[in-house]
Amino acid sequence: MLLAKTFRSSTLKLALISIGIFGAVVCALFGYVYWSTATYVLSRSDRAIAAEHAILQKAYDSAGRGGLIGAIEQHMSDGRFEGGLYLLTEPSFAPVAGNLQVWPSALKGMSGWANFSVRDWKPDSADGAPLRAMFETLPDGYHLLVGKDIDNLDQFARAIYTALAWSVALIFVLAGAVSISVTRRTVGRIEAINATSRAIMESGPSSRIPLRGTRDEWDQLAENLNTMLDRIEALMGEVKQVTDNVAHDLRTPLARIRGRLEKACNRQRDVEQDQSLINETMADLDSVLRMFSSLTRISRIETSDRTSAFRTVNLAEIASEVVELFDAAAEDKGGHLNTVGEQRVLVTGDRDLLFDAMANLVDNAIKHGREAGHVTVEVNQNNGHAVISVADDGPGIPADEFQNIFKRFYRLERSRCTPGNGLGLSLVAAVARLHGVRIEMVDNEPGLKFRLQFPLVAESGLEDGAYQATATRPPLS
Amino acid sequence: MPEGQRRILVIEDDPETAAQLVDFLATSGYQVDLADNGDDGLSRGRSTEYAVMTIDRMLPGIDGLAVVRCLRKAGIVTPALIISALGEVDDRVRGLRAGGDDYLVKPFAFAELLARVEALARRSSTVVKETVLRVGNLEMDLVSRTVSRGDLEIELLPREFQVLEYLVRNEGQVVPRAMLLQHVWDLHFDPTTNIIDVYVGRVRRKVDSQQAYPLIHTVRGVGFCVRAPC
Repeated sequence: MLLAKTFRSSTLKLALISIGIFGAVVCALFGYVYWSTATYVLSRSDRAIAAEHAILQKAYDSAGRGGLIGAIEQHMSDGRFEGGLYLLTEPSFAPVAGNLQVWPSALKGMSGWANFSVRDWKPDSADGAPLRAMFETLPDGYHLLVGKDIDNLDQFARAIYTALAWSVALIFVLAGAVSISVTRRTVGRIEAINATSRAIMESGPSSRIPLRGTRDEWDQLAENLNTMLDRIEALMGEVKQVTDNVAHDLRTPLARIRGRLEKACNRQRDVEQDQSLINETMADLDSVLRMFSSLTRISRIETSDRTSAFRTVNLAEIASEVVELFDAAAEDKGGHLNTVGEQRVLVTGDRDLLFDAMANLVDNAIKHGREAGHVTVEVNQNNGHAVISVADDGPGIPADEFQNIFKRFYRLERSRCTPGNGLGLSLVAAVARLHGVRIEMVDNEPGLKFRLQFPLVAESGLEDGAYQATATRPPLS
Repeated sequence: MPEGQRRILVIEDDPETAAQLVDFLATSGYQVDLADNGDDGLSRGRSTEYAVMTIDRMLPGIDGLAVVRCLRKAGIVTPALIISALGEVDDRVRGLRAGGDDYLVKPFAFAELLARVEALARRSSTVVKETVLRVGNLEMDLVSRTVSRGDLEIELLPREFQVLEYLVRNEGQVVPRAMLLQHVWDLHFDPTTNIIDVYVGRVRRKVDSQQAYPLIHTVRGVGFCVRAPC
């Protein structure tokens, strides 16, 4: 299975192509080495033959044929020219002197170089050993041959050839083996990822790609994919949670409505009772519709690109409007709501959304804060970041709930009975994400403090006039 | 309705919604013409004088916004109430408000629809500049920004004055919460909290406490209404 995959693998195909190209280059290189070595060795022996010939020629020139014969005999006997071949014949090719018995039939013409072989020219030489000789026709018609047994040169060349051939073969075998093992390793890691993907497709995103602890790129890939799977699993969990909650929060008012209508259906018509029933039913339906519009509103903020509608707005102004609006609500609870900080903090954003988000935070602070508590909204600049914070002095929330409270429909146990649908902070989170705002929750000792930090923006450079034009409200229509 | 029958054009493709609209507007004293597609709406809008028209955002054929644009191009200034089922009001619809138009998101309470239609109809007919508004024994001086009931001076914050002014200008009409938020605060969303009720509650305490009769009434599930007892 793995082997079959290895052979189909593109890594192996790539490796084989590289081996082919590399091998061809190595073959060409070794061929050149072999050719140049052989040529060098041959030219060396040719030079030795030519030198020997020159000595004999000199003897002939100075002492005539007799001198030549003498020189040949002397050279043969002292063995100074190893493997030397000599032959002097009459014009009819009848041997006169030398260690060759017959003029080789391959040597034709007046003079030149030739390779040939002669059977049993020397008792210790192999049959048909390769010989090389230089021959010429002397001025008196006699033929002279000077040559050399080149059998050992030939063997040298062959040894080089064999060594090179073996090297090439070894290189191919080694490269092939390495490619297959590397490919097998790659295919093995990919197969692990594939197996996990299949498991996920079959039975949900609970399996993870095994790590080998080598911290190599494969481990990093596996780690990233695993992190991605964690995120997907978390999102799926959230979707399921939201679906369950929608179902639950829908069923409750719908069940109430149904029960009420059923009871009304079975009793006598009574104008006053019917009227109050209709009113209650409409109020319940309104709360269902409100929940839906909150949900669609949040998902629209999260998915659509609304940044085109962004304008320069004054956060401090929005904050003071929110505070003014909620002042009555805080007063109803016997509490106090105030705003502190700077008068003018400009950010780029959507006024409606920022207002809504701030209103939700303030509303939460009043609702979940202490009875007759104190809520403070603060707006200022901090290192160029615009920062809004909304703080109450109520019971606060445990630190391990900090992340949960932004989930849709999430409600703390103790808040189940207060009005609300658990969507307010989800909206705040969505608005914050759209504006690139970082939300922090801080223990206000006592109470809870939400801190919204806006991203740094290049100095807006707006003239006061321009700011006035965008941030002031049109008069009452 | 004070001045006889007024004509209204309803452009709506869903038969049931259309029937409900026609029925409701007719019982509210309007003479209603119905168009069930954009082209029909366009030709009717061009040929007849209407006080107001309501236009569904999604229509077969021509889009609701395109109908309004075409009519404006043809010089028809009839105020339009755009009804959108998209859940969220987009910027293009918001932009239309500048031209004396308004929008409403489905599903809506008919009382809210009527309030908005009435407001548009008024805007198109009467642009009288009053300096003093009166309801019952309540008197609002728009110049000196003072309010009194009988001999009693009522102290109001500037925003509270604006709220009361808007309610008084729409005397006898139901003013939905979202409409109040839209006109007094220039905010375009449906508040998820009961904050408007609390705010109007405070205005009501200042205006109505220790008085012979209340002026500000809450209409359950919709909004508020200022009216003097007859």
